[in-house]
Amino acid sequence: MLTHQISKPVIPARVIVLGARGFVASNLIHHLSDQQIPVVGLSSDDLDLTASSSVSTLAELLREDDSLVFISALTPDRGRDIKTMMKNFSMGQSVCDALARRSCAHVVYLSTDAVYADEATLVREQSCVQPESFHGTMHIVRERMLIETLKATSTPLALLRPSLLFGPGDTHNGYGPNRFVRTALDSKQVALFGGGEEKRDHVYIDDVSILTAQVLAHRSTGVLNLATGESKSFREVADCVAALVPGTEVQPSQRVNPITHRHFDISALVAAFPDFRFTDVRTGLERMVEKATAG
Amino acid sequence: MIGFAGLSHLGIVSSIAAAAQGFDVVGFDENPQLCDDLVRGQLPLHEPGLKELFETHRSQIIFSSELSTLNRCDVIFISVDVPTDASDHSDLSPISGLLDRVITAAKPGTTIVVLSQVQPGFTRKAQVRAERNGGQLYYQVETLIFGRAVDQAVHPERFIVGCADPTTPLPSAFQRFLEAFGCPILVMRYESAELCKISINTFLVAQVSTTNMLAEICEGIGAEWREIAPALCLDRRIGPYAYLKAGLGLGGGNLQRDMVTVTHLASEVGADASVIQTWAAGSLYRREWALRVLHREVLTRCDQPAIGIWGLAYKEHTQSTRNSPAVHLLEKLTSFDVAAYDPAAVLPDGVLPHVHRSSSPLDACQDRDALVVMTAWPEFADIDLSALSKALRGRVVIDPLGLIASDRAQAEGLRYFRLGTGRFTTC
Repeated sequence: MLTHQISKPVIPARVIVLGARGFVASNLIHHLSDQQIPVVGLSSDDLDLTASSSVSTLAELLREDDSLVFISALTPDRGRDIKTMMKNFSMGQSVCDALARRSCAHVVYLSTDAVYADEATLVREQSCVQPESFHGTMHIVRERMLIETLKATSTPLALLRPSLLFGPGDTHNGYGPNRFVRTALDSKQVALFGGGEEKRDHVYIDDVSILTAQVLAHRSTGVLNLATGESKSFREVADCVAALVPGTEVQPSQRVNPITHRHFDISALVAAFPDFRFTDVRTGLERMVEKATAG
Repeated sequence: MIGFAGLSHLGIVSSIAAAAQGFDVVGFDENPQLCDDLVRGQLPLHEPGLKELFETHRSQIIFSSELSTLNRCDVIFISVDVPTDASDHSDLSPISGLLDRVITAAKPGTTIVVLSQVQPGFTRKAQVRAERNGGQLYYQVETLIFGRAVDQAVHPERFIVGCADPTTPLPSAFQRFLEAFGCPILVMRYESAELCKISINTFLVAQVSTTNMLAEICEGIGAEWREIAPALCLDRRIGPYAYLKAGLGLGGGNLQRDMVTVTHLASEVGADASVIQTWAAGSLYRREWALRVLHREVLTRCDQPAIGIWGLAYKEHTQSTRNSPAVHLLEKLTSFDVAAYDPAAVLPDGVLPHVHRSSSPLDACQDRDALVVMTAWPEFADIDLSALSKALRGRVVIDPLGLIASDRAQAEGLRYFRLGTGRFTTC
């Protein structure tokens, strides 16, 4: 559950975003800039969080009234192994060490729904945390690092756990809307695992930025899943892409893994932001195709 | 003569029901104002049929805040409320304190019966104190159902009595009192009776939780729970009185309190009560159903949406708003323009100040984008839907409990949503 420390939204004094080159952070920086919110984006070129020197650099940069959004992570496409996880831990440690030296007004951490058990079919913030990948384990450990670090200074902390993200600018090639749009545009083909029966909650990237900005404006604390509450099968998404890219063929394949579904109970999100409306999958895909074909 | 110490909802209804069986009754409470009001014939609570029954039998009841008034009674029931904290833990200290005072005030040999709900082990520990005064202590399971309390008190299904030794006959005055109601009397050891009450509530929670889970599946696959429920009622293993109405989770507070107690007991003895956590989570999830529909259909679609709410009480025929889904919904709508109407329940001063109190159901709908029916008051089913349709600015009617006829709502051009029917689809 999320609790707003400030009931009426207030523009943050300054937002520092770590992981600025990534898919989520770059979109967020763009959104905050559009909203005239002072924002500083730091990529690994500016601040290598795996290096110990990053601690003092970040600590010196931080101001008391700053809001820090921690998004930097080596995503699964950069490695699903122990080595990658340890690097991610190291990055988490650097941020925590810096926050221990210099506190700020608010910290927002972009985690993942991979912290929940794979078999969890209706996920809510209170669902059992039981990661089944190094990626999920890494995020839940970094969440714990931040909780313990910020406890000492009573700094407000929001932990956001997004479901599957999609939208223009995604550099990952994971199974789902991004890959479907890319392959439809490249080769007029969308390949499904099995019949694409699995249902997932697909969140459009702009919605993550808008919600994160609202979390910053309310200086919210607690845990919030970022999900729409409407899960769609990969087949439905593929068909939608095929309709948007004429001539695209959706190709099922022999099923290897059993079908699993994931739905979200978004009651907490609705309670926190009662008038927020998610972008539906079709609209999001339309924007992706538009942007890709225009570019 | 029969005494009731503690004029709670339970104490008032039980004392009037005892008088209705022909007994002379003493109703004691430490609140003199409450006693004075009752002496003047003013009831502090609403229950169908209670006012009429009270008027008929008032002359048989002495209401007093003097403890000594109880010393003429042969049987005294302890009927004080059991307070619970924010985590639904019971605080038994008020019962314990009152019990000691009653034991001291009662004449020697008086039978004292704890009617308030206590946790297993309480009565056996308290027994020693009653015996010091030459009396005997019993525990009797209360089966008060808000909104049906009079019927339940006058025509109980059975009496469940806990005692130190079930092989010993009940004291004659107590036996005579119980037999007057003409229902089975089940005598068992203290611990069994104490757990029996909790067992009843646990089964009810299981029924409510199962019903709500299946009703949601109905919403997803296009089934209709109202078609399924009658078939279950005819199954002897389930029965005609099973809780098979889809609802907004667990209301009131007693069921939650008992689930906390079961979890605690299971933890103590090492039993697996993890299903309780599942039920609790399911209840919280279901409680937000109206908010989720309202969010999707209205809050994200209208500029400055105005909402009308029917019902504040946690269920019909009661003034209680404790754990009320309506109040819970209103707490989530603080940034919106909300008007609410309830025939009996009122919000305490200063609570949810954003809610405008309406004088009638139609008043609550005037120029509103949506109506949400949160309590199943029968009068809501009789509202003129044409007038309702004209009063509303928008078309959305969210009626989770299905009070309004869906076909008539649709005929009036309303977009109607209820639990257990399709998945968020209009009927």
